[in-house]
Amino acid sequence: MLRLEEYENIIEKCSHCSYCQSTCPSFLAEQSEAFVAKNRLLLIRETVMHDRMPYSSRAQEILDYCLLCTNCTQTCSSKLPIDDIIIAARSKARQKGGGIKQFVMSKMLTQRGLAGVLGKAGSIAQKIGVATKEIPQLAGRSFDKMYSGTYSPAGEVKKRVAYFVGCGTNFIFPDTGEAVVKVLNHNGMEVIIPPGQVCCGIPSLGEGDLESARAMVETNIKLFAGLKVDAIVTDCTSCGMMFKEKAARCFADDDPLQEQIVAVTSKMWEVTDYLQNEGLTIQPGKLDIKWSYHVPCHRGWSPTVKDAPRKLLGQIPEAELRELEHPELCCGGAGTYFMSHREQAEKIREQRLEEINNTKANAVLTQCPVCRFYIGFKVKDREVTHPITILARAYGL
Amino acid sequence: MQGLIKDLNGLLSPAQVLSQPEEMLAYANDATHYFKSRIPDAVVLPHTTDEVSKVMQYAFTKEIPVTPRGAGSGLAGGCTPVNGGIVMDLKRLNHIQEVDRNNMTARVEAGVVLKRFQDQLEPLKLFYPPDPQSASVCTIGGNVATRAGGPRGVKYGTTGNYVTGLEVVLPDGSIINPGGKFVKQSVGYDITRLMTGSEGTLGVITGVNLRLLPLPEANRTIVVVCETLEQAAEIVAEIIARGAIPGMIEFLIKLAITVMNNFFSPPLPTDGEGYLFMYFDGTESQVEYEAKVVTGICHDMKAKEVRRIDDPKAAQAYWTARANVYPLIQTIFQRATTEDITVPRNKLPDLVRTVQTIAAEEGVMIGLAGHAGDGNMHPSVLFSQVTPEILAKAEVAIDRLTRAGLELGGTISGEHGIGIHKAKYLAWELGDIQIELMKRIKQAFDPKNIMNPGKIWMEGGGDHA
Repeated sequence: MLRLEEYENIIEKCSHCSYCQSTCPSFLAEQSEAFVAKNRLLLIRETVMHDRMPYSSRAQEILDYCLLCTNCTQTCSSKLPIDDIIIAARSKARQKGGGIKQFVMSKMLTQRGLAGVLGKAGSIAQKIGVATKEIPQLAGRSFDKMYSGTYSPAGEVKKRVAYFVGCGTNFIFPDTGEAVVKVLNHNGMEVIIPPGQVCCGIPSLGEGDLESARAMVETNIKLFAGLKVDAIVTDCTSCGMMFKEKAARCFADDDPLQEQIVAVTSKMWEVTDYLQNEGLTIQPGKLDIKWSYHVPCHRGWSPTVKDAPRKLLGQIPEAELRELEHPELCCGGAGTYFMSHREQAEKIREQRLEEINNTKANAVLTQCPVCRFYIGFKVKDREVTHPITILARAYGL
Repeated sequence: MQGLIKDLNGLLSPAQVLSQPEEMLAYANDATHYFKSRIPDAVVLPHTTDEVSKVMQYAFTKEIPVTPRGAGSGLAGGCTPVNGGIVMDLKRLNHIQEVDRNNMTARVEAGVVLKRFQDQLEPLKLFYPPDPQSASVCTIGGNVATRAGGPRGVKYGTTGNYVTGLEVVLPDGSIINPGGKFVKQSVGYDITRLMTGSEGTLGVITGVNLRLLPLPEANRTIVVVCETLEQAAEIVAEIIARGAIPGMIEFLIKLAITVMNNFFSPPLPTDGEGYLFMYFDGTESQVEYEAKVVTGICHDMKAKEVRRIDDPKAAQAYWTARANVYPLIQTIFQRATTEDITVPRNKLPDLVRTVQTIAAEEGVMIGLAGHAGDGNMHPSVLFSQVTPEILAKAEVAIDRLTRAGLELGGTISGEHGIGIHKAKYLAWELGDIQIELMKRIKQAFDPKNIMNPGKIWMEGGGDHA
């Protein structure tokens, strides 16, 4: 249920081994132990959990500097659900009274998810100081205006696949969505895009707005639970994480929705992960491309998702992977974080950009739309896109 | 401490001075988080040795305690400010200043993270062996200050064996450079060695000269499953007695294997009681020969299973799991506290038996893991729940263990240092005369007792929260 009370004993289990310092982007940027999971857990315990210290503006700053990238959770061998604890703490803090920023962000997120914030960022958000000059352009026509319903392959239907379209693809990068449909069809898979999909809910969850997140999860789960399909794919690792890891935790264990959540999430795949697991039925043609892979942070929900693009695109003749020095380094984008924490996000992005620039390649690929545009704002000498679009290109689709 | 923050802001930029309670919380403990929190009055984050020197001059004049700190991952409470004052966080001194391939030496700032340094050496076919298991976060300055070691101690020794020179800021702010880039020196007292392991009580280590080795070209990993803990310990003693020197020999109990097992494919059988992870490195023919000899010894001594892992990637999984065993244990226990007893290697079977006896007699659960190859074991008291009764029992058990280790001709700490965690036992090992001598050395370096006071010697502290 992501209620803070559930985590009291769990926080005590933190051994302060400090291994979280090896991957936390806010720690790596600041080199100060105030900004790492270990201290955030202590701070949560002392402030919102037990009221032994006031939930001061500094406490809020330290908690809000967290990008919810989940790197600490993935690094923690004690398996503490650190990101869930931070979400629960933000939720508790909201109940005690959030600021106007939280309220505005929350409203915009509830209406249209990530794109809601982006679309209005130029006006309201800038006025209240949560915006940045770097705002992605919304596509002329959103994906759902172009694609909806069932798309069948030319020949025999080998698999039926439902497609959850995240806000990033729908409003900013419809090219990713087109590539998903075409590549799946090309491999003999029928694609079903149910109308009525809403934001996966992860931006609201990140704000600690559990109520809105639950409403979105419920809508999406009910929409997909009834479909007779072999798999449900998403092209976005964050949407995937929301379904696979967070959806069930938004509700009580005995909530009637849990059964449907399991039905949906047990079939959930990131699209390149799914294709790699199923195996391509048609080999792609050659493509002269030297590409680097920026692994999205929200990769913990599938053990194979981070290697899927490497293996899948490895089948394209002449395509060559040029690994970044640290492929799993956070880019700083993190949903709406790059708008609410412009300075910090830019600081985090610096090393990511340095490694990209030091790698001789003509494309940077990533399965996260936020990484795609946030890296893309600064990387102009090479293409930044989703790996599925490269596969589509190799197929000549 | 009136005006402390204002003064520090005058010496450094305000972004380098932390003082708000929400920030101080982070610096109140290290990995001995179970001790009472010790809140500093301020934390400074210097970028240069000159900035360290400025803060020390100020602290010296005002007689304010200063506690140097690396990653904060220590296991002895060495970097926690028991008397408050200033914590000197050295993580921002993080430049690898030189790697000299021709001289096989390097020069780093104190805050360089060990793994980052080792990653940089590997493509150059260079090797810096010390391997505290917190390598992904711990700093080389912290390693020097605690004379840190790790599994490779059996063949390669610990940090102290690689330090050839230092840059140190003394309590009054003056900067000295004992030792240097050369690999031998016979000039008066060896201050480099004295600073190494001084736990921040004599000065602030800001730079380190290190000796490097060529990277071994080949390696093998062998995992041995043993019927009993004694059998595992006897195999280790036999390997050492026969003159074989593996790069690492790690000793683990079944409980550890159960929490590590999802790292391995296939998982290790859990019907053994003791487990050995061994690593051989050197030339191809050498590692092949050593692996064969040791495999033979294990079979002769009736080990249950000897698993040889030749694929380096698969082998890495065993060593990654080993590095994480301490936090992994935390998945099933509420708390674990780790000791650092080191005995002569032929006494390992005795130590293992003694640990089991004490655990049974005192009614506490004691996990056993360690770098068996160099006789360094980490008995850990494992708490399913933390109550005053169990804490009291644990204290008795640890007292007895420590005494038993000394009676076997061992030492109270092989690689973690004394800090506050083992200060209570210092006199048991060193006796009054050595301690008095050490105190006079401390007095010579630090006449105002501002450098990390309350460490090594008992001055309060060490109470569980």
